[in-house]
Amino acid sequence: MKAAVAARSTGFWAEAWKRFRRKKLAMAALTFIGGLLLTALFAPAIAGTKPVLCRYKGTIYAPCLGYFDRRLEPAIFTKDRFRGTYPRNLKEKDPESWAIWPLVFQDPYRSVRADEWPGEPANPARDEGRPSRRNLFGTDQAGVDVFAKMVHGTTIALLVGFVSMGIAGTIGIIVGAVGGYFGGWVDMVTSRVTEIVMCIPTLVLILAVIAVIEKPTIWHTMAIIGATGWTGIARLTRGEFLRLKGSEFVMAAKASGAGPVRIMLRHILPNALAPVLVPITFGIASAVLLESSLSFLGFGPPPPTASWGSVLNDARSNLAMWWLVAFPGIAIFLTVLAYNLIGEALQEATDPRLREARK
Amino acid sequence: MDRFPLVDHARASARTVAWLLASLVALGCGRQEADPLASVKPEPAAVDAARAQPVTPPAERLLEPFDPPAIEALDRDAKWIDRPVRDSLALLRDEQAKETALATVAEALTLENDSPEANAKILSALGRLPAPGEADPDARIDRHVTGDLGSTNPIMISTSAEFDILGLTGFGLFSFDRKLEAFATSDTVASWQTSADGLFDKVVLRDDLVWSDGTPITAHDIAFTYRVIMDPRVPVPAVRSGTDQLRWVHAYDDRIVVFFHKEPLATNVWNINFPVLPKHVYENTWEADPTLKDSPEHVKLEQAPVVGGPYEIVDRQRGQQIVLRRRESWAEVRGKQVREPPFFKEVRFRIIEDPNTSLLALKSGEIDEMMLLPEQWTTQTKGREYYERNTKATASEWVSFHFGWNIDTPFFADRRVRRAMSYAFDHDTMLEKLCYGLYEPAAGPFHDASWMAPKKKLEPSKQDLDKAEALLDEAGWVDHDNDGVRDKEINGRLVPFEFTVLVNQQPLRVAICTLLKENLDQIGVRVNVRPTESTVLQQLTQDKKFQAYLGGWGAGTDPDTSENIWATGAGRNFIGYSNPEVDRLFDEGRRELDRAKRAEKYARIQEILHDDQPYTWLYWRNSFYGFSKSLRGYVFSPRGPYHYSPGFGSLWMPKTE
Repeated sequence: MKAAVAARSTGFWAEAWKRFRRKKLAMAALTFIGGLLLTALFAPAIAGTKPVLCRYKGTIYAPCLGYFDRRLEPAIFTKDRFRGTYPRNLKEKDPESWAIWPLVFQDPYRSVRADEWPGEPANPARDEGRPSRRNLFGTDQAGVDVFAKMVHGTTIALLVGFVSMGIAGTIGIIVGAVGGYFGGWVDMVTSRVTEIVMCIPTLVLILAVIAVIEKPTIWHTMAIIGATGWTGIARLTRGEFLRLKGSEFVMAAKASGAGPVRIMLRHILPNALAPVLVPITFGIASAVLLESSLSFLGFGPPPPTASWGSVLNDARSNLAMWWLVAFPGIAIFLTVLAYNLIGEALQEATDPRLREARK
Repeated sequence: MDRFPLVDHARASARTVAWLLASLVALGCGRQEADPLASVKPEPAAVDAARAQPVTPPAERLLEPFDPPAIEALDRDAKWIDRPVRDSLALLRDEQAKETALATVAEALTLENDSPEANAKILSALGRLPAPGEADPDARIDRHVTGDLGSTNPIMISTSAEFDILGLTGFGLFSFDRKLEAFATSDTVASWQTSADGLFDKVVLRDDLVWSDGTPITAHDIAFTYRVIMDPRVPVPAVRSGTDQLRWVHAYDDRIVVFFHKEPLATNVWNINFPVLPKHVYENTWEADPTLKDSPEHVKLEQAPVVGGPYEIVDRQRGQQIVLRRRESWAEVRGKQVREPPFFKEVRFRIIEDPNTSLLALKSGEIDEMMLLPEQWTTQTKGREYYERNTKATASEWVSFHFGWNIDTPFFADRRVRRAMSYAFDHDTMLEKLCYGLYEPAAGPFHDASWMAPKKKLEPSKQDLDKAEALLDEAGWVDHDNDGVRDKEINGRLVPFEFTVLVNQQPLRVAICTLLKENLDQIGVRVNVRPTESTVLQQLTQDKKFQAYLGGWGAGTDPDTSENIWATGAGRNFIGYSNPEVDRLFDEGRRELDRAKRAEKYARIQEILHDDQPYTWLYWRNSFYGFSKSLRGYVFSPRGPYHYSPGFGSLWMPKTE
């Protein structure tokens, strides 16, 4: 039995993963991205001023969810006039209460006031907020903690990459697949559309859209990056489909009566996916950069949303506050580098020609 | 009295004003308009703009024919009262002669401006006018402007850059001093009289005035310009408001011009102040091309305008720089020196939009002066690196900022809600942290130091969340549906208290709005901060498509100029404020000629506005300027160091050995 399992040949993806795992840098990059994911997921538990869990007047609440969506913060605290200050109010209004606090008592959206955490002073503001024990990465001009901003900004850095490339990947693969598979006038149309979209300057389009819509959010930015960033993916997919549609297994599927959708999705796509993943990975990196540039220019998500680029933007007016440049700069650099390393390793792990060359 | 600084004194029409607002907002601390040599009309008249607006006559009827009486009849009946004709520079010199300098120049140049005492010493020592022969007659100054000129035609003036630049090239009869008192300037006027009933102003021009092409400047130029400004086909952006309150302007001969008013108003002194065009240049081209800029002749004039002021434009590179040179025919006519030439031979305006770039330019000596942001003043202009070439000075300025609450929305119609907003906002944090403790709190539209402010100082708002919550409860904004957000049933629908505040993209302003968001969040009101590009912001406020905004107004020269901010339906009344008593008081204020009685009316207006809180007043933005150490003679007015008379005209540079 055992021998039989060992004899079973490994699949393409398992093979690729095996090769990928051998690359130390790429694995480090993957771990880094994994760490970012965890940071984003647990941001309110890492830095915040709202309890992760607390018991108040007999009920257990998780006010920290308010950082994900304001509506998730229990209304009772507004009703009872906590006014956003939990530590003191919890004790005063219900001596029986208890709370589990985030690791760092700092808020990404506002400056911590004096004595908000009993005995602690207010955050330094203006240009006096150098990194210190209380403010690990310093504070910005308004006294908001940079560490908290960056922890909460991780969500945006990740979301921007995944959501926009999710959109771009979907559009790109569908357009490329349809064009490549059907060929003829369909290919003619999709290719021309692709070329037209390639000519649209993303940055300018985003600026224009932000000026027009009533309440621009980060989701609009992601949608635009996604809606304009699919052209490279579409071209690659089209090429792969062109190559594969004449192959024997497609012939066989056709012969056994499979329809075009089934052939495209079940037979060709899995075989075409590897090369397509590469531009998506690089796309994530460039989406992160684009979002940072937009925030840096002041066109990012509406304030006070925390984003790495907006911390950089704060530094623009006073370069002497080096901590506003260094920490987000390093974070953006590392993230973009990590995605690029992953992309490169993926390319090498999945491309048989590169594989051969390396041997 | 207030209007956007930028534009405002341009007797801005409502449109212009809006533009200004936007620009002001945009520039943040953008510069304001300048009126250095006092030649251009300073400001005023916003008032009239407002008044004129609701009842604008059809375009063709802007000017109705008028048959001016014979001058003899006028002289016989008018009972002329002499009005002041002054040389503002000479007056400043006299004034300074009486003061003792608090420090020597050498001492002041070594000082760092880190205390009010140091500031007073710097202003006292470096703000002085030159002794005879002390100034370098060949000096050049590199000034900073944040935007290019839209046009070089003085009647098209509307932006701050245009005021700065065309103020130096333009010809005008009137100006106003540091105390915002109007007078006729002795450089151009021989005498100025007003009739006892206040219906006529008679001005006799000097006979030694010439345009830059050598043609004499006469009273006919003034009467002609009035007709051009009032021609509805000419797209005059700002200057028409105010001027349109005149009944007629008539030139009796080359030197005598009479302004006929519709009513005897306290604001008439501002209405007669408008820029002047050369009649001999435009009379033949105006009819053929009323846009004054499209025909080949006008295109040529736009490049090389015929000017009547002390400077002329010699070079213009779009978006980069504009170079003015002293016009010798201003000071010297027919081989004789007839007036004092301005101190600088050349004035080069460098166009730099980004404040960080301009600060670098100041530090490297590329520009000689600029307006500083509070953050720059506090953190980036200290130490050797800055003081090696430059120094800096500050003074209070009558430019105030506010949150405007749109009264036509369900949220802010109730006065209690607006007061709750003022109580909810953390004014101390804004002043201390965000504004670096450099700005004074504002309580209403008129500055405490101005003559129209109430005797009993109004208290600026302070944060009091208990009062804010009580007021909101009282107004019916309670959290009915237990979602943490206050709401109220309006027309059978539960409306949550969530609104958007518009602001330009300047970081300080965005930070103030973010603070508002934080404060209101504490009491169950949601705010969306929306940084908006200036032109969009201007359009939205003007079209009243907003719920709240952060903006500012600069002081006009007369409190009446703010009527079109507060009067019912007025042009700059973006927030839809309406109070019949305020309307009436403005009307009375304009007709009241006694200064003390006028002041009472405006003081009362300020008190009413303070009660109503249509705005949450935030702060007075003081003047902060960086100056090259080689500059002297800067004196600050409530409108900054340039926008009055002599203003820029008092700046000079000493001879270098």
